[in-house]
Formats: sequence, structure tokens, C-alpha cells
Amino acid sequence: MEERQLNEKESLELIARMIQNTQQKLEKGNGMPFLVWGYTTIVVSLLVWYFLSRTGDYRMHYLWFLIPLVAGPVMFFLVRKDEKGVKTYIDRVVGYVWTVIGLTGFMISMVAIFFWNLPILFIIILLMGSGTAITGLVIRFTPIAVAGFVGIVLSLACLFTQGVDQILVFAAVFLMMMVVPGHILNAKGRK
Amino acid sequence: MFASLDPLLHSELRLAVMSILISVEEADFVYLREKTGATAGNLSVQIDKLNEAGYIEVERGFSGKRTRTVCRVTRKGMHAFKQYVEALQSYLNPPKEE
Repeated sequence: MEERQLNEKESLELIARMIQNTQQKLEKGNGMPFLVWGYTTIVVSLLVWYFLSRTGDYRMHYLWFLIPLVAGPVMFFLVRKDEKGVKTYIDRVVGYVWTVIGLTGFMISMVAIFFWNLPILFIIILLMGSGTAITGLVIRFTPIAVAGFVGIVLSLACLFTQGVDQILVFAAVFLMMMVVPGHILNAKGRK
Repeated sequence: MFASLDPLLHSELRLAVMSILISVEEADFVYLREKTGATAGNLSVQIDKLNEAGYIEVERGFSGKRTRTVCRVTRKGMHAFKQYVEALQSYLNPPKEE
């Protein structure tokens, strides 16, 4: 492409072509945030469940902090590595959605751990399910949207389960809500 | 009466850069070069012209050890682009005389 004068028709064609060019396609690695947060949450949940059911020591709940401590740096590394040269409005919307959900989730977890007895696993699934459903709708990828809604509905299962086994339900919902659609998204991106 | 076409936008590479930046939030130099197929030298000159006109803002920074130039369209650029498209439409669909 050079610095050349165009006629009117060519100009409109060029504008249309360039706008078309910027439409993001699903790419390999798009599902990585779901996989990183999903797998980390499942592994940490199983750890908490195991130690809590073995010892009954309330302090085992501090192991939940492993989730941001592990997944946070991994995500930071991935974002830097996969810088794609362009940021779209969709990227911004999805980024804001997860920032708000992340901050809300962190705040409510702190309240549940240190101050108040809340059905925190139910609340976290509800929050993450909402984020996943919104993301799926915004990026127009049905498996992610469906997984989000499935998560929202299944969050209720935490309310009907008693004791430490609630943590197993929590891990199972994360598997369906984040890990499965994360793999589907990555597989689509590879094609 | 035909509206005049903004000479700054009525050039292939500058119009391509503006069209890309209109449809995204921001794009870096490598992305713009890839999408337009322009040479680095030519693209750099045209980006400077758009920047000097206030149509885009250019931010030079680092990504790891590499330098990274990020471009964004400004409000003025958005307005100029809109007027340019309206002018193009007036050429292609001239108002019918009574």
C-alpha cells in the first residue's frame, strides 16, 4: 500500500475492507484465562477439601489464597507473552467485566473469611457464572455463554449441600463452567 | 454542491490506517503494518502526518525490551473521518435536481 490518491468508490471499498480486516477471529489461546482460573480453582478446592476433612482445622481456609497467588502471576505472564498488537472495544468490555467481578469476588471472600458467615461458594459461582455468561454473549461464543448460565443454575447446588462436601460441588461446577468451555474455545481457535 | 474531500484522508495508506483505528480501541505499529501491507518507512511517515494533524495520538513505549508504538484515533480524527465518509457519499449519491 502506498501514498496514492483514490477515487471515491475505491475509498469506500478500502474503508470497508480495513474494517472487515479488524474483525477479530477466535484465536488459539483465547480460552487460556478460563483454563488458568478453572484448573487453579479446582486444584486448590480439592486441597482445601482434603485438609479440611482430614483435620477440621478452620485455618485450612487460608489455602484459598493460593488461587490468586498462583493464577494471578500466570495470567500476568500470559498477557505479556500474547500481546496481539490491537485492542478492540470487545477486549475493553470483557476486561472491565472481569475486573469488576474479580474485585467483588475478592472483597466478598475477605468478608466471608474474616467477618461474616456467608454462603461464599454459592456467591463466587454466581459471580463467576455471570462473568462467564456475559463474556460468552459479548464475544458471541455460545459454549461460553451456555457454560455461564449452567454455572449460575448449578450455583444453587452449593446451597443444598452441607459441610465440606460443598467444596467438591464447587470444584465440579468450575470444571463445567470454566475448564470445559475453555478447552472448546481453544480448540475452535486452532482451526 | 459537492463537499470537498479532506486531502489528508484522501490517500490510500492514511485512509487505511484511519479505517483500522476507527474500528478498534488502539493498534500498534506492527499490527498496522501487517493489516495495510505497507513498508515500515512509509507507514511511519503517514502516521506522523496523521499525528501532526491531530487525527491520531501516538504513544511510544516498551513491551519487554522492544519498543512499541501504539496509535489511537482522537475525537478530531473521528470527526474528520465522519465528514470524509459523508463527503464520499455525496459524490456517489449526488442529490437529485428537481
